[in-house]
Amino acid sequence: MRYFIFLFVAMLTFSNWASAQQKQEPWAKSQLMETATLASRITNNKTKDLLILSVGPDAIIKGSVDIGPANNQENIKKLNSYLKNVSKDKKIVIYCGCCPFDKCPNIRPAFNTLKEMGFKNAKLLNLPKNIKADWLDKDYPTND
Amino acid sequence: MKRTIFLLLIMLFSGYLFAQNSTLKVGENAPEIALPKVDGTAFSLSSLKGRIVLIDFWATWCAPCVKEQPELKALYEKYANSVKNGKFEILGVSLDKSKENWQKTIERFKIDWLQVSDLKFWKSPVAKDYGIEGLPFNVLIDEQGKIIAINLHGKELEELVHKYLNVEK
Repeated sequence: MRYFIFLFVAMLTFSNWASAQQKQEPWAKSQLMETATLASRITNNKTKDLLILSVGPDAIIKGSVDIGPANNQENIKKLNSYLKNVSKDKKIVIYCGCCPFDKCPNIRPAFNTLKEMGFKNAKLLNLPKNIKADWLDKDYPTND
Repeated sequence: MKRTIFLLLIMLFSGYLFAQNSTLKVGENAPEIALPKVDGTAFSLSSLKGRIVLIDFWATWCAPCVKEQPELKALYEKYANSVKNGKFEILGVSLDKSKENWQKTIERFKIDWLQVSDLKFWKSPVAKDYGIEGLPFNVLIDEQGKIIAINLHGKELEELVHKYLNVEK
């Protein structure tokens, strides 16, 4: 019995800890956009109201704007000035894809900048592994 | 019934074989790499036959790759004699997009081993030829261009390089 109580407490503690870890990310789960969603919007020419910004090594996604790696302060300035006159209601999706989310140095500063600037419809493209595995290998549309 | 199971097993197994075909295997010949160096001159991996070669796939946008460069430098310096005697070489293959970033990082880390890139990012044919799914990634090949090891890093990599260079002396 004691063992079970111990297990129960351990599980509770751990799950709290795990969710606390998740909460530290600047985005909520609902702010992740799935790749299939974006790919189908691009393919069907439904991106007029959407701004796709690359904050990583290369703007490889079709129709995306190359801001540059956001771990560089210069590129954060670039992001700021690019979005200066954009309506705060504009739908924006950012992506990097250099590496898995936990190792990526670019998405956090970029997403935080969007939040600080007050964009209400900012999303992060869900590329859990990288742009190669999660976009190119699926033959989703690219800038050539 | 037995036959069905047997057939199913064969199907499973062939699927496995097929999946394996798309990636590299130890003992196989390393695919040719023919890419330009920083100065734009042509280079091919086959010109390094006769040496143990560490092919380091990296990019300046890959933080763990950049972090590994000083380790590679230490390895290159440790075996400087083998390099001089034509026994060992490192070939850096960059998946960069920006030549400026590539060049700057080479200068910053004073990388003096071979560096090649077509600056095509993930669209570089080498990424496909070597079945690279993510960086950092490397391949160690022997004097005949056969693959000795895939994706070893740190101490494990150094020990293997050491072993091969000593045996061949």
